[in-house]
Amino acid sequence: MVLVWVVGVVVLVAAGFGAVVLPWWRAREVERRTAWSAARAAIESAGVSRDASMSRVDEAERLLAKAEAIAADRGGTAAARTASECASRADRLWREAVDG
Amino acid sequence: MGRWAGWVRWGALGAAVVVLVVFLVAQRQSIDVSYGQSPSSSGPVQEGSAGELSDATVPSVDEMTAMVAADPVVRLPGSIAHWDEDLVRKAIGDAGIRILVAPPGLDKDERGRVRDVDNAQLRVIGTEVTGSAYQASADDLPSWRAQFATGDVTSLLLTLVASVRKQDPPGDVDLFRWRPPTEAEVTAVAADLRAGGVHIADGATLTDIPKSAGPAFPDGALYAAFPQQTFGEPVPEYGPALAALFPGRAVVVVYGSWIEYHGPDAADFADVVAASFYGQAADRISTYAYPQGNVLHAYLNRVTDVRYAGLFDRPLPYLPLDPLRVALPALPWLFAGCVVVFLALSTRSLLGPRRGPRSAGVPARLAGLTALAIEMSGLTDEKSDPALTRGITKLRAAGDALAENLPDGHVRTLLDNAEAELDDTAWTLGRNDYRPYNYLRGRLA
Repeated sequence: MVLVWVVGVVVLVAAGFGAVVLPWWRAREVERRTAWSAARAAIESAGVSRDASMSRVDEAERLLAKAEAIAADRGGTAAARTASECASRADRLWREAVDG
Repeated sequence: MGRWAGWVRWGALGAAVVVLVVFLVAQRQSIDVSYGQSPSSSGPVQEGSAGELSDATVPSVDEMTAMVAADPVVRLPGSIAHWDEDLVRKAIGDAGIRILVAPPGLDKDERGRVRDVDNAQLRVIGTEVTGSAYQASADDLPSWRAQFATGDVTSLLLTLVASVRKQDPPGDVDLFRWRPPTEAEVTAVAADLRAGGVHIADGATLTDIPKSAGPAFPDGALYAAFPQQTFGEPVPEYGPALAALFPGRAVVVVYGSWIEYHGPDAADFADVVAASFYGQAADRISTYAYPQGNVLHAYLNRVTDVRYAGLFDRPLPYLPLDPLRVALPALPWLFAGCVVVFLALSTRSLLGPRRGPRSAGVPARLAGLTALAIEMSGLTDEKSDPALTRGITKLRAAGDALAENLPDGHVRTLLDNAEAELDDTAWTLGRNDYRPYNYLRGRLA
């Protein structure tokens, strides 16, 4: 009879833990994949801008190289955000160079 | 699923916790009803703690020896024992047996002094009779009744005299006689019983009803207490008279240290209790001078013990219906059920589809923008190429995100970016009808 209580409490705690942790973990995973999806889009976009650019922009080259390096290492959401940020700035610099 | 299942799921969790708490709290409450543990009070007894010592005292050993030498029967002041003197004298004959009678309730030291009087072959302390090496004790209800109601020790003396004279012990002589009480006597007692449930006659040492009366007689009882009765006179038999006057009520009648029960189930009950009580307590009661209240207290405790012993096929009065005790065996299964429900619903909600329905507009917009990009791709020039390419890149990313089940918000952001690029392309081309806003509206129309 004692076993019922012990097993019951363990199962309850485990279920409660699972009910909280699993959705949280899933949300984190989705967020990570979303961030990488955005980062990849930004890097590709920057690559297009570089190819279209007449002049060479060192700063943009450096930023894009950094973003690609980060992307090559994979990593978490924060890494994806950094890569995304670098790629967007590089993209902007190249576009300004074209427009200018 | 949905709200209803959510309520059930968290309700099951709450119920499980409540059940667990109830179970744990119930552990404090230990319910043990045992035949061995009736609530009668008992404890180690110290001499004098129950008021059994009287104020009576005895002279010195020398004085008593001198008294015994002068007189074959010496009654010290305060003595309560009586006997049929003719019978005893006849039994003693010419054996020269001397008897010393001392009052009850002597302490250990005083009893020792009485025992040290060597020329008295028989000693009576209270109603306890001892010889040089023997002690005589009553062993049946009539003997105890005579001994404790009237102080009659005739049978005991005769037994010891025979033992001193090395003769066969004689049979018991029962000198106790009942008489019906007079109308006036019964009326007086009955009036008191009607008024307060207790009658205490003049000379009785009972002061109030002991607290052990509660468990002994849960429905209450009537008590009539009388002092020790005069030896040699018939004793008024109040028990049956009072039982007839108060049918269905328990009646306890006390004469001296002799207690009788009359009333419901007396035939089953009274003799068992009396035999068990006096069988155990007769020694102490005979030696000491217990107040009636204390004897009654002990007697009522014995009544409770007998009641609890389950000797009778009557419903026991001490089993309260406890709903918690009835429910307790079911609690673990209730708890287990709640756990299973909670677990099942949690698993279902975790394994089931997490994502709500995707809004239909997103894939349609992706398709429309893709079509626009393909249409424009044939028209672009060097100047508008990069924007179109970037737009197509973003569209592909949006398509991937859609395929990967990423959130709508993210897909929409990518589509917004793509749309901005395509708008830029159309602007560069100077084709107002290819601007996404116009193009999509035309397609949808």
